Amino acid sequence: MRGSDDYSKAVSNHYKQLMEYCKINQERLDRELPPPREDLNDLLAERGVSRRDFIKWTSVMTSLLMLPPMFRPALATAAENFSRLPIAWLHFAECTGCTEAFLRTSYPNVADIVLETISLEYHETVMAAAGHQAEQNLEKCMADFKKKFVCVIEGALPRGLNGQYLRLGPKGKTAIQIAKEVTRSAAATVCIGACACYGNIQAAKPNPTDAAGISKVLGISTVNIAGCPPNAVNFVGTLLHYLMFGGMPPLDSIGRPIWAYGQRIHDVCERRSHYDAGEFVEEWGDDGAKKGWCLYNVGCKGPYTFANCGKVRFNDSVSWPVMSGHGCIGCTEPGFWDTMAPLEKPIHEASIGGGERTVDNIGLVLTGLTAAGVAAHAVASAIRHKGKDEEEKHD
Amino acid sequence: MEIRPVKEWSAAIMINHWAMALSIFVLIVTGFYIADPYTIYQGETVDKFFVGNMRYVHILFGIFLLFIFIWRLYLAFFSKFHADWKDFFAWLDFECTWDQIKFYLLIKKDPPEHCALYGPMQSLAYSGLFFMIFVILVTGLILMGAGYHAGMTAFLYKIFKPVENMLGGLAIVRYVHHIFTWLFILFIIVHVYMAFWYDAILKEGTVSSMISGVLFEKEGK
Ligand code: HEM
Ligand code: HEM
Ligand code: SF4
Ligand code: SF4
Repeated sequence: MRGSDDYSKAVSNHYKQLMEYCKINQERLDRELPPPREDLNDLLAERGVSRRDFIKWTSVMTSLLMLPPMFRPALATAAENFSRLPIAWLHFAECTGCTEAFLRTSYPNVADIVLETISLEYHETVMAAAGHQAEQNLEKCMADFKKKFVCVIEGALPRGLNGQYLRLGPKGKTAIQIAKEVTRSAAATVCIGACACYGNIQAAKPNPTDAAGISKVLGISTVNIAGCPPNAVNFVGTLLHYLMFGGMPPLDSIGRPIWAYGQRIHDVCERRSHYDAGEFVEEWGDDGAKKGWCLYNVGCKGPYTFANCGKVRFNDSVSWPVMSGHGCIGCTEPGFWDTMAPLEKPIHEASIGGGERTVDNIGLVLTGLTAAGVAAHAVASAIRHKGKDEEEKHD
Repeated sequence: MEIRPVKEWSAAIMINHWAMALSIFVLIVTGFYIADPYTIYQGETVDKFFVGNMRYVHILFGIFLLFIFIWRLYLAFFSKFHADWKDFFAWLDFECTWDQIKFYLLIKKDPPEHCALYGPMQSLAYSGLFFMIFVILVTGLILMGAGYHAGMTAFLYKIFKPVENMLGGLAIVRYVHHIFTWLFILFIIVHVYMAFWYDAILKEGTVSSMISGVLFEKEGK
């Protein structure tokens, strides 16, 4: 749109205003937030990340957040301020896999190092405190940083037996009680992983504990960093946005940040040209698999899944599932264990009530029955209405 | 006994009918290929675009069907020849519907007197079919909107996004779309059979009526 002056003027005006807004917010946060716990620059130097690499990373993050380059310095400030944002990290019905995935990257990139500086006022997996002491830490965080700390939740909430499937802490409160109390005094609630977002495997059929995601159980709106596990970049980026603009980024209709979950896997997939060409892997390890063809026929759920895995990839951007030869299983979508099954076949091959009863087989049987019924009706009609013409002639 | 030709369908209805039948036929064939694509082994990737073309044809005829359907609804309310929207509720006359069922089940030899354009069971079937078309249009437009983010598609996707969330994601939307494809197949078998059956039993030229617009009524009956 270079040609249109009005348009480019409007765009640059918009970003100028946004920049003002960003400055005001960063100044406000500077006043309100506690001093940094760790110096990011020291930590980066310690890990052998050069200043140049850090600048490169801030450029990438700025563009990932769909901002123009002028926001890069603001984003760098936000990254340096990362350790100043007080966070209470709660664990409910889950496997702690998301925390593990965030903490145990073997080649931590800048995002992971930034994440390491996170100021965890309370985190059940990594804190030293236990019992009443831990409980006090949480209460102190809620009192000291009322409406200023961010509540991060990992895990679903079981609703069965009045929530008694999950009791936590020295006072034996139910998970639902704790979640209610903490989210009420938090500035924002961020759900990490499919469990907290939509219930995940705990909520899959038959869901014995009647588990569900945070926003559904508490009736509050949450920022959903979906995935099993989600990408650390999506979490860090969302908090950086918060540290720049004082609010969460725009969300889609089920709470996922649009900058990360706005596009379908299928639409930015590197195997897409093979899909359009009609070149499919039909069996694991066949010729098509060796040539990197599309994984639709071995169950890729990319066409139904909104996420940026193909763009940001995992493990320091080394690879992602489709790149390494297995289809996407749709882990960022609500209820994916039920809706995406079977994971290694296309969706319409799901069995209805077990065995070979797929929609297509049921459809074929019904078609056969209908055809047979129609044929029988034709024969019966021929007998019943026989001689009708003669009768009418005599009328 | 005299046989008198009666104009039954306007040209618009006939064109609409066959356009709809053609679209549905094309959509079923291309739809099943999209659901279960087989691999094209010959040739280089750069020269191939088979799935791409199939999707193109499917979406093209899908949009045709959208406009044909809107046109049909328009005719139902504003047709100059015969605005027939009331006729779709003929089945609400339960006594007549029961007699019609007996006629179909070959218990009664003659059909009941129809006061509407359609027989009662026919009206029920077509109401159901219109519902099916509506569902497959909405699910189809959602599947389309998920991949294109501009123009009418994006606008309609915004409107229908709550439907996607309500159903539980694109995967379910696609599954519903697939199930309804089978309902269309079942409809077509019964529908075409009934057209021929009416022709054979009542001898009023039902099959040709959709081509010529003329039904032959027997007088003095
Ligand atoms: C031998 C072939 C066929 C004959 C003789 C035939 C005849 C008829 C007749 C007489 C009607 C009632 C008129 C009307 O309601 O407009 C009708 C309605 C209809 N037919 Fe067919 N048909 C045939 C094939 C098909 C096929 C293959 C389809 C595709 C699915 C189809 C779709 C419809 C629809 C959607 C309606 C009702 C809606 C409407 O009123 O426009 N027909 N058909
Ligand atoms: C009678 C009408 C229709 C039939 C029988 C039909 C059938 C099908 C079938 C069987 C599939 C594959 C589903 C699967 O993977 O299990 C499909 C996909 C699809 N259909 Fe339809 N469809 C119809 C109408 C429409 C309409 C009206 C639209 C849009 C305006 C539409 C758009 C689509 C799209 C976008 C897809 C997904 C293709 C992709 O994402 O690659 N369809 N359809
Ligand atoms: S591998 Fe999956 S996401 Fe990629 S083009 Fe094929 S179906 Fe789509
Ligand atoms: S590729 Fe699909 S299944 Fe894998 S992490 Fe991404 S969204 Fe989840």
